[in-house]
Amino acid sequence: MSDFLDANAVLVQATFIGLVLALSVQVPLRMGVFSFAGAGSYGIGAYLAGIVTLRYETPGLLSVLIAAAVAAVVGLLLGLVIARLAGLYLAMATVAFDLIISVIAINGGDLTGGPTGLYGVITDFGTLQLIGVSIAVLVLVALSEVGRTRRRVDAVRDDPELAASVGISVRRYRLVAFAASGALGGAAGAMNILIRSTVTPMDIGFGLIVLALTMIIVGGARSWKGAVLGALIFTWLPEVLNAVGEWQPLIYGLIVALAAIFLPRGIHGLFVDAQRALQRRRRRAATSEVASVGDDDAPDTDSEVIETLKESSEVEATK
Amino acid sequence: MQELIGALSLASIYVLFALGMSLTWGTIDILNFAHGSIFMFSSFTAYLLLQRAPLPFLVMVLIGIVVGALLSLLIQVLAFEQILKRAKDKRSAEMQILIGGIGIAIVPLSIAQYYTKSTPFGFEGSPFEVTKLTFGNYWITNVQLMTIVLAAVLGVATSLWLRRSRQGLALRAIGVDSEVASIMGVDRRRLALGAMAVSGALAGLAGILLTYSLGAITPESGDTLLVKAFAAIILGGVGSTAGVYAGSFLLAAAETVVLTQTNGLWVDAVSFGLIFLVLLVRPSGLFGRKEVRRT
Repeated sequence: MSDFLDANAVLVQATFIGLVLALSVQVPLRMGVFSFAGAGSYGIGAYLAGIVTLRYETPGLLSVLIAAAVAAVVGLLLGLVIARLAGLYLAMATVAFDLIISVIAINGGDLTGGPTGLYGVITDFGTLQLIGVSIAVLVLVALSEVGRTRRRVDAVRDDPELAASVGISVRRYRLVAFAASGALGGAAGAMNILIRSTVTPMDIGFGLIVLALTMIIVGGARSWKGAVLGALIFTWLPEVLNAVGEWQPLIYGLIVALAAIFLPRGIHGLFVDAQRALQRRRRRAATSEVASVGDDDAPDTDSEVIETLKESSEVEATK
Repeated sequence: MQELIGALSLASIYVLFALGMSLTWGTIDILNFAHGSIFMFSSFTAYLLLQRAPLPFLVMVLIGIVVGALLSLLIQVLAFEQILKRAKDKRSAEMQILIGGIGIAIVPLSIAQYYTKSTPFGFEGSPFEVTKLTFGNYWITNVQLMTIVLAAVLGVATSLWLRRSRQGLALRAIGVDSEVASIMGVDRRRLALGAMAVSGALAGLAGILLTYSLGAITPESGDTLLVKAFAAIILGGVGSTAGVYAGSFLLAAAETVVLTQTNGLWVDAVSFGLIFLVLLVRPSGLFGRKEVRRT
């Protein structure tokens, strides 16, 4: 394991940083907020961690915490301002936010190092801490995908009016999405600068949005598993794609476009569909053998409810 | 005054570029993120053909228009129609179109980057000469003049087409409620293709004119223009031709002021700041109609 880590340290680090960045765009998407603010938070986190480390020599973990906290507050403020905008308008406002952050980075003078950025940010923060923080973050995100929280998040995304009518504060969930996205993006940016020791305005531009989106769309937008898949694929794929050399961006673009057209729920969506098909077949087999409903997994989304209803009516019809 | 001429021709480029985006966004609900790539690749194709033969100005403009329209149609047929066919509701379709567009935009961009090595390309071999017309203390180049005139004429033409013709009425009907429109006998697919072709043609035209005007453009210039066009459209209000003009002129004027009064590094922040400000104060833009949505 440690041999593997040493040999592929750069790629392993990139995988985890990419994962946290992807989560920062995915969390709001799962709550129906089409926000790209995670990329801007990444910029805030990277510069903030660099500045506190260079000026006050804070320990690595503390820098990450500070960066995540400040980025979360900024994200929340942004959310308060733009949460009432709808769909594409909100998306464009967050793109504007991201680009403003990079313009500020270029014009920040001594504080941000201008166009050359910050360099020489060296701390005790290493690969193991990076993996630790990333996994902790991943667990927190995964916890929001089980039980009550998951059903509420699904409701807020798929039918906000319905959610509001059963007493879920849609606004509060959306604001939490903004804050969480800020914290995740901030942490990703902070960890990146602490590992790589430099950041330039070029690193926090529009390319980040494309990268995060690519990971989520190809991996799957509905679950943390999708983000993991996406981060793995798009960090290790360039190694595999070395043969195509300069055409790599073109391949990426095509993959994103094809995924958006044919696989809107990503690779993870394929797995979910396959699992459901399997369950259905098993259920059918079970109901034909013993004519009783013996499945214990409760249906919890609209489509599943409808499918179960259809199946039970089919069963009745065959009786 | 000289700055005003500069701002006017900059605004005219924004108008030509943003007009097509606003047309498709306001009517068939397609926010085409590949619009910048279409703009750049039309100019790039003309540049490649110019290496073979010294083509006159008019032919170059035609190449730009045709390539822009074809690319736009291709994207519509291969990507956006497929997404609309498969998407389960309007919101996820909107998102998939946006993301699909981001992906597609990379393809022409990386082809152009590969051949130009990301350096600027221009129309050096063209027999057409950019000349300065002076009157008194001021000057304007012939390309700038043409850009301004074309932006004015095409803008008015688009506006009239949308307002007066039956096709325009049908397009606007799709923008209000596409299902009701198709019940009324509107051929959605054909009109969408038409709107995309017009939009692409305008982008191609803007590409050729800007390349002549600046001397050279980089493969990445489409992306910058895309964000600026967003700013102009949002400033003016989505789907409004008058709004595109107002937004483009405001943006160009604000940028010119910042460029001449400061060291210029903040210019890019102007458009983003304006987007933000307008979305906060008046989300539907200066000329936008208020969106009524039933749920």
